[in-house]
Amino acid sequence: MIELYRGIAPEGDLVIIERLCSRLRDRSFLHINSTRAGGGVAEILHRMIPFLQSLGIKARWEVIKGDDRFFDITKKMHNALQGNDVRFTDEMFQYHYEVNQRNARELDLEADMVFIHDPQPSPLVEFRKKGSGKWLWRCHIDLSVPSKPVCDYLMRYYKKYDASIFSISKFARGLKRFEFIVPPSIDPISEKNRDLTEEEIERILQNYNIPLDRPMILQVSRFDRFKDPVGVIKAYRIVKNYNDCILVLAGSPATDDPEGEEVLKEVQAYAEGDPDIYILMLPPNSNLEINALQRAATVILQKSIKEGFGLTVSEAMWKGKPVIGGAAGGIPLQIIHGITGFLVYSIEGAAFRIRQFLNNPEMTRRMGERGREHVRNNFLITRQIRDYLSIWYYLEFGEGRILEL
Amino acid sequence: MAEINNCFEFKRAYTVLISTGRSAASIREMLDVLKEVSAGSVFHHTYQYFMKAHHLSYTNDFAQWAGESLEERALSERLSSIDPFEFSSIEELRKKIVQTIEEFLEEFPTPRRVFPGDEFYFNETLSFVYPVGIRVTNLNEFFHALKTVDGQCIYYHFYEARTRLEHSMDDFSMWIEHGLGEKALAEEIRNIDLFMHTTEGIRNRLIGIIQERLLEGGLS
Repeated sequence: MIELYRGIAPEGDLVIIERLCSRLRDRSFLHINSTRAGGGVAEILHRMIPFLQSLGIKARWEVIKGDDRFFDITKKMHNALQGNDVRFTDEMFQYHYEVNQRNARELDLEADMVFIHDPQPSPLVEFRKKGSGKWLWRCHIDLSVPSKPVCDYLMRYYKKYDASIFSISKFARGLKRFEFIVPPSIDPISEKNRDLTEEEIERILQNYNIPLDRPMILQVSRFDRFKDPVGVIKAYRIVKNYNDCILVLAGSPATDDPEGEEVLKEVQAYAEGDPDIYILMLPPNSNLEINALQRAATVILQKSIKEGFGLTVSEAMWKGKPVIGGAAGGIPLQIIHGITGFLVYSIEGAAFRIRQFLNNPEMTRRMGERGREHVRNNFLITRQIRDYLSIWYYLEFGEGRILEL
Repeated sequence: MAEINNCFEFKRAYTVLISTGRSAASIREMLDVLKEVSAGSVFHHTYQYFMKAHHLSYTNDFAQWAGESLEERALSERLSSIDPFEFSSIEELRKKIVQTIEEFLEEFPTPRRVFPGDEFYFNETLSFVYPVGIRVTNLNEFFHALKTVDGQCIYYHFYEARTRLEHSMDDFSMWIEHGLGEKALAEEIRNIDLFMHTTEGIRNRLIGIIQERLLEGGLS
């Protein structure tokens, strides 16, 4: 499988992955999260698990089960951790724990290295067997200004992990000896990111009746208030006074996000009456469709107010598109202001930068090219696999801070 | 130039970040943390700045933060002028950075705080070093390898080597002098101002200098 990435990913990363896998061969690597569809974590695991298996690692992926009440609690937890004022009761915390307890009875939690992704399955560490492998909490969300009661509740589990990984430095808690920083990544050969022919792009856009005769502004994200879809429409309306263009807002539902439907309705109501706004609620795993939309777009936005990392930025940049993004979460790591895109802090700022791109095709092309190389060197799945294996290797065998491999 | 048995093996370094859990929202806070944070963290935010593909208008993370987040341009310029490779130890470098900030605070004693979210986060790194599978035995092979190895290789041999070796010199010129006996060429390489280049800039400079030597000596 690694062969598929030759000529795409940096060769150095592939060499080191092979070397680390040969040293960790036949050892087990378990990942647990809360959904198989929707969101960047599931997307990466879909590829990472078979990739590692093909290199001799016994990699597994388990998903915890929960009912609507559980996912409603975890969604609220997610919002509270990202700074929203959400009220929690002891019963809610207790139910979160109990669902994890039930999952722990059903799941095989034994592995040499266990990665628990995000808060939903974090209590599983309570059911770790004595003498089992290393347990690591992989947090993908923005914890920079968390709600204290929810954070305190999760910290009781957090302390039981051997180490943790955060996507960017500002999310780290400063409570453990090993809090690693590993940005997430995109898969360049997946349906969502592979090259498409012009015919494929046209066919897919025709399916959604999206015209190709005018510049397209696009935002791909869940229908979530933190992604500011209404703000995107407001920016588009400013641009529309100067440039004829269309706006596409595309997202997919996620099983662990019960608020999506409500936000979608708000956005539809706000956009009502404008035939040039296309709001697409795509089925889960509409990867080819998202790929085609990103390739057809003239300008891509990720106008998040809060963001875990915002991988849609890297997806867009990989397709040679410059991105205008909110300076939230991991977006500033991907958008180097003025080089690979623009960071914006307001609706007016977003509108101004959209107009700049629409009126300067050469600048748009140049920034797009730089963005693609930035992603190649920093945000491809091979770099993330390299980092995970490096951390695992270090926790098992490392001494000192410099390791010769 | 005689072919020699000594070979040069290209290695590459990459890092994984580790949070120290320390951050600063003002220059005073930065000063306090800088005085006690690990040497590894000072190393990361200064020497390892040169690993970054996009060399911005600064030469270390402290200067970049002072310029971009604090918007203290004068301080940023002063911090950017500190060449880490002039110091014999991390502690000497730390002293210089601390002294620069203290002098700034004497002139401007009430600096502003950054906006929430723009704090400086102190990190350290785990460094992984490995051979990339390219060995060369003469200047011509070295010249061709230099064109293809990635930027991390150049960083490791040209920048980080100076912190690794007692003589504060880069691996390339050491090998060219002692392995190939090309003292003059080695001196020319040492005269490159590494502080003024990105890794790609260094690559181009090296290629230019070595190509000239190969042509002049009929060695290509």
